[in-house]
Amino acid sequence: MNPHAPDFSRTTRRGFLRLAAASASLGALAELRALPARATSSAEPAGARFFNPTDTEILTQIAERMVDSGHSAAPRLRATGAIETIDRTCRELDPALTSLLPTVVRLVEYGPFFFDWTFRRFTQLSDQEKDASLNGWMTSRFEVRRLAFKALRNLSILGYYSQEESWPLIGYAGPLLRSPRPAP
Amino acid sequence: MIEKLLERGGDLVERADVCVIGSGAGGSVAAAELAVAGRSVVLLEQGHYWTRADFTQREDEMLPRLFEEAGMRQTEDGAYTILQGRNIGGSTVHNLCYAFRAPDPILRLWREEHGLSELTVEALAPSFERVEKNLRVKPILEAELNALNRIIRSGAQRLGYSGWVARHNREGCIGAGYCILGCSYDAKQSMLITYVPRASAAGARIYANARAERIEAEGGRVRRVLGSVVDHDGRVRGSVEVKAKVVVLAAGAVASPDLLLRSEIANGSGQVGKNLHLHPSVMLAGFMEEPVHAYRGIPQSYYIDQFIDLEKDPHRGYILMPITGFPVLTGANLPGFGRAHFAQMAKFSRMVGLLALLHDRSAGRVASGRSLAKPRIAYALEEGDRRQLSESLVHIAKVLFAGGAKTVLAPYWHDPLELAPGDDLSVLERRGVREGEIGLASTHPQSTCRMGRDPGTSVVNAWGESHEVAGLFLADMSVFPTSLGAPPQLTTAALADRTASHIVARWPEFAG
Repeated sequence: MNPHAPDFSRTTRRGFLRLAAASASLGALAELRALPARATSSAEPAGARFFNPTDTEILTQIAERMVDSGHSAAPRLRATGAIETIDRTCRELDPALTSLLPTVVRLVEYGPFFFDWTFRRFTQLSDQEKDASLNGWMTSRFEVRRLAFKALRNLSILGYYSQEESWPLIGYAGPLLRSPRPAP
Repeated sequence: MIEKLLERGGDLVERADVCVIGSGAGGSVAAAELAVAGRSVVLLEQGHYWTRADFTQREDEMLPRLFEEAGMRQTEDGAYTILQGRNIGGSTVHNLCYAFRAPDPILRLWREEHGLSELTVEALAPSFERVEKNLRVKPILEAELNALNRIIRSGAQRLGYSGWVARHNREGCIGAGYCILGCSYDAKQSMLITYVPRASAAGARIYANARAERIEAEGGRVRRVLGSVVDHDGRVRGSVEVKAKVVVLAAGAVASPDLLLRSEIANGSGQVGKNLHLHPSVMLAGFMEEPVHAYRGIPQSYYIDQFIDLEKDPHRGYILMPITGFPVLTGANLPGFGRAHFAQMAKFSRMVGLLALLHDRSAGRVASGRSLAKPRIAYALEEGDRRQLSESLVHIAKVLFAGGAKTVLAPYWHDPLELAPGDDLSVLERRGVREGEIGLASTHPQSTCRMGRDPGTSVVNAWGESHEVAGLFLADMSVFPTSLGAPPQLTTAALADRTASHIVARWPEFAG
């Protein structure tokens, strides 16, 4: 079992509703732009992560579906630096832009429970069910859900398609400059 | 002197004749010309000072460095992506170097409908000439057209559409194609390597990481600018105070009105932040039989002006322009997710893009948000503009097919439409362009502090000076009275040049 797999086994529907309410409500998501973010303090230690391990695992499973190619030669998202790239990008942006992102990730995790009346979390679904759940966010009649979907989708694209391993698959020859990758 | 305040540390306390806010196409020109004329100048730029050595040609590194909100700034409803620079040199560091003068009929419109009788072609010519010389503007050579632009030109010519090879501000371009991520070769003649060094050489003190947060006036005159030293991620590291006799605000058509609104000055007309035009654009993707690697070479060198006739009607029309992107920017503009999204990404090397850039009448607004990093931007298409963009989809598809595309994708978010040669293209006009259904973008927000003769309906006069606060000037795209109807880099720079000349000529008034 993945040591970072979310353990919300004791969370009830009421618990989720509390989580949703406590996270400043879906209405607050209307403040979202394409990139959500975190709250950091200036005392943050060097090397600190934007997402905690639990949220990182949820985000990874979301991103895996967002960029799934169904192609056997495609590099697995977990085998690339995609999630590290997303985390670094979020760390480098103004907290005013990104503070809601962990909440969005949690809402997607509990989305099936809340929006689809399924007593399982996103990370407990099959790939097909995950796609159906994400499709619900993408096509929702609520603008805030669509914005949240777009934010996660664009982050996933940024993370995955900035990795050299993904370029041969789409025929991108890569930069003319060959600079070393930054340390994660 | 160009100083990174983050590296220096501490607060910034300065006194100068002129404080310029923003270092893009307007601010850097104003700063340079004022410094050359002997004024002491302090230039504040909230973004970082990146140079060619930092331009790595990688999207994950350059998008957060060069763009507001990492290139994903949007209107409040998420319908429009707005690309704006955030660095020394502003958007000129990432733009694609189209170099157009303000169209004559637009200047006429500004004279006739906004009372700007001073803005004649003849009066602006010296400013355009100076700017073009300093930016080394010249025609793009035939040999410099890349595969993408040749395909688009071929399609236009087959259809008999009017189109032209543009002028640009490049010198010694090797055609790498990474213009939008910053030029690693200093071939792009952006403000970063032209006017900013010119200002510095003339003695201007230029500070990166210095965010202006308030402009103070006293007795009807500007007095000082207050702000913060900020990290690239917005964290405050110190304070900024610049006392100046003149302030030139050139932070762009989003940040400039935000700053005026927060400062509660110069808005007796109630027009600050209103009249936002975007030059909204919509794009279709064509897929060729063989790889064309459209991202190599000069990205935009040709344009189609068949559908804009400003002499006939200065209020409407659109230009068609080739467009390409790297994997992240392309992926963000393609619809769907997972396997459906990948089905289009898999054809990346065969992809050619063509967009319509609308000369819009629709007017949105900019308002202050909870944070300076997050202004509130609202915009919606008027029906006439919507009809034009919908019609443009048909012409884009025609050009792509005539240029040899085997399929064309209309990237509707939830139900993309894929067309083959011979298909009925009127379906595109019927489905049309509606916010939230298809990707819309803007690289030219403008008009939020518009010029005009009437202080009741405009923010600044024909010289860019506030109608209300003496010594406060605006010198960016926010002053355009209407949509420009052409890429705005040169016009922004020329108006800033003219504003600087005016300040120099009237200096005894301000010095007193």
